Amino acid sequence: MPKWFTPAAAICGLMFAVAPVLIANAPYESTMGLVQKIFYVHLPSAWMFLLAAIICGVASVRFLFRGDPRQDRLAWAAAELVVLFGVVTLVTGPLWARKAWGVWWQWDVRLTASLMGWMVAVAYLLLRRYGGPGSDKLAAGLALFGMANVPFVYISVNYWRTIHPTTNVVPTLPASFGLPLWFSAVTFLLLFVLLLRVRVRLEEQRARLDALYLSMDA
Amino acid sequence: MFARVVWLILRKDFTVEVRSLEIAYTTLFFAISCVLVFAFALVQEGRAPEGGAAGILWIAIAFAGTLALGRTFERERQSETLRALLLAPAARPAVYVGKLLGIVALLTAAEIVLVPLVALLFQAPLLGRPFWLAVILLTGTVGFAAVGTLFAAMLVRARSRDVLLPVLLYPITVPVIIAGVRATAALLQPEVDAGIIRFWLALLVCFDVVFVTLALWTFEPLMTD
Amino acid sequence: MKLLAALLVLVGLCAAVTAPALEAQQPSQPQQQDEFVPIDELPPQDQLPAAPLLVAAYSFVVLALFAYVLSVARRLGGVQRELERFEAELKRSGRT
Repeated sequence: MPKWFTPAAAICGLMFAVAPVLIANAPYESTMGLVQKIFYVHLPSAWMFLLAAIICGVASVRFLFRGDPRQDRLAWAAAELVVLFGVVTLVTGPLWARKAWGVWWQWDVRLTASLMGWMVAVAYLLLRRYGGPGSDKLAAGLALFGMANVPFVYISVNYWRTIHPTTNVVPTLPASFGLPLWFSAVTFLLLFVLLLRVRVRLEEQRARLDALYLSMDA
Repeated sequence: MFARVVWLILRKDFTVEVRSLEIAYTTLFFAISCVLVFAFALVQEGRAPEGGAAGILWIAIAFAGTLALGRTFERERQSETLRALLLAPAARPAVYVGKLLGIVALLTAAEIVLVPLVALLFQAPLLGRPFWLAVILLTGTVGFAAVGTLFAAMLVRARSRDVLLPVLLYPITVPVIIAGVRATAALLQPEVDAGIIRFWLALLVCFDVVFVTLALWTFEPLMTD
Repeated sequence: MKLLAALLVLVGLCAAVTAPALEAQQPSQPQQQDEFVPIDELPPQDQLPAAPLLVAAYSFVVLALFAYVLSVARRLGGVQRELERFEAELKRSGRT
C-alpha cells in the first residue's frame, strides 16, 4: 500500500468521528425538522455514487480501446463502489422521503434513473463474476452504456417536474447548513479514495497470483 | 459497400430462417402465451385493469425480443458462422447493422400479431391510430434491438450467456421501455395530447440515436478476441 | 464463518433498527386532508416520529460501509495467503 494510505485512513477515521458533532449542531430545517439531517449522508453518498459511475465508465472506455489492464482493475473497483454508495443513497433517500414526502418511493425521473444505474452496476458485477473468460471486455461495454445514464440522473431534476429537490439547493445553502455538508462530503470523498485504492490492490494481487500460476505452467 | 453487406446479411438470415421458421414460430408463440398469462392473472370479472394494455404490450415485446436475440445468436454460435462473419472482408459495423435489421424485422412480425391480441384481450383501442402506433413501436423496437443485438453478440462466447442477456439488457433498455409505454398509453387516451406523444417520441428517437451510435462504436473492440 | 457471523449480526441490527420505524407507520394513517396543514399544527398522532428514521439511516450507512470494508479485507487476506503459500512453495522447490 502506498505511503499516504495509513495517514489518510487515520484522518478519515477522525473526520467520521467529528462529523456527527457538526451534524448535531447544525440548525433544524424549518419544514422537515429532525429527519432532514439524513441529508448530510444522503447527498455525499449520492455524489460518490455518481463519481464512481463516471470513473467506471471512463476506465471502461480506456480499457476497451487501449487494452490497459490497470484501467480494467479500476473499472471493476469503481463498479463495486457504485453498488455500495448506490445502495446507501437508495436506502437513506426513502427513509428521509417517508417523513418528508409521505411516501417511501416515487417513480419520478431521478429516482428511476438512479435505480436503473445501480442495477447496471449490479449487472456489471454479475457479469464479471459469472461471465467466464473474456468478460472483462464485455463488462467494459456494459459500463459504457450505463455511464450514458449519469448526466441524465444529475440534470433530470432541473427539467422534469419532480418532487425531488433541484440542483440549485446546494449552491444556495446558508453556511450553517453548508459546513456540515461539505465536511461530510470531504469525509466521504476521502473514504471513497481509500476504498478504491484497497479494492484496486485486491485486483493487483489477484493479477500477480494469476501471472505466477501461468509462469508455473510454462 | 456498407449497404450491400447489410443486405447480404439480411438475406442470409432470412433464407436460413425461412427454411425452418423455428425462431419465428417459437418467438411468436412465446409472446402470445406471455400476453395470455397476463390476461389470466390480471383480468378480473371480465374487466381488464385500467391502462394495462400499453405496459403489457411492451413487456411482451421485451420478453419475446430477449428470447429471439438469444436464439438467433445461439444459432450463429452453433454453426460457428459468427466467426466466419467476422473473418469476412466486411466492415464490422455493417455486420452489426445487418443483424440489427434482422432482429427488428422479426420483432415487427411478432408485434403485428401482438397488437390486435392485446387490443382484444384488454379492450384497448390500440388500432385507433395505427400510424402513430406503428411509429412508436418501430422506434422503441429499434432502441431495444440496438442494445440487444450488441449484448447478445458479445455474450456469444461467455459463460451463463442465457441468463446474463436479460440481466444485462433490461436495466439498459428500461428508458426505452418506459418511453414506449408512456407514448402508447398516451395514444390510448380518448383525448389524445399530441404534445405528450411528440415528447416521448422525441425521447425514443434520442435513445435510438445514442444506442446505435454507441453500439457501432464499440462493436469492433467487443467482438475481437 | 466469521464473515457469516458478522453478516448475521448486521442483518439483526438492521432489522432491530428499522422495525420500530416501520411499526410507527402502520397505525397512524392520516385521513384525507382537504387543505394544506403545516406540520406543527397536525395532531401528534398524525405526525411520523422522525428519530427512528434518522437512526435507521445513519445505522445503515455505518453498517453498509463496515460490511464492504470487511468483504474487501477478507478477499484481500485470502489472496495474500495464497500468494505467500505460493512463494513458500517456489522457494522450497528451488525456484523452478
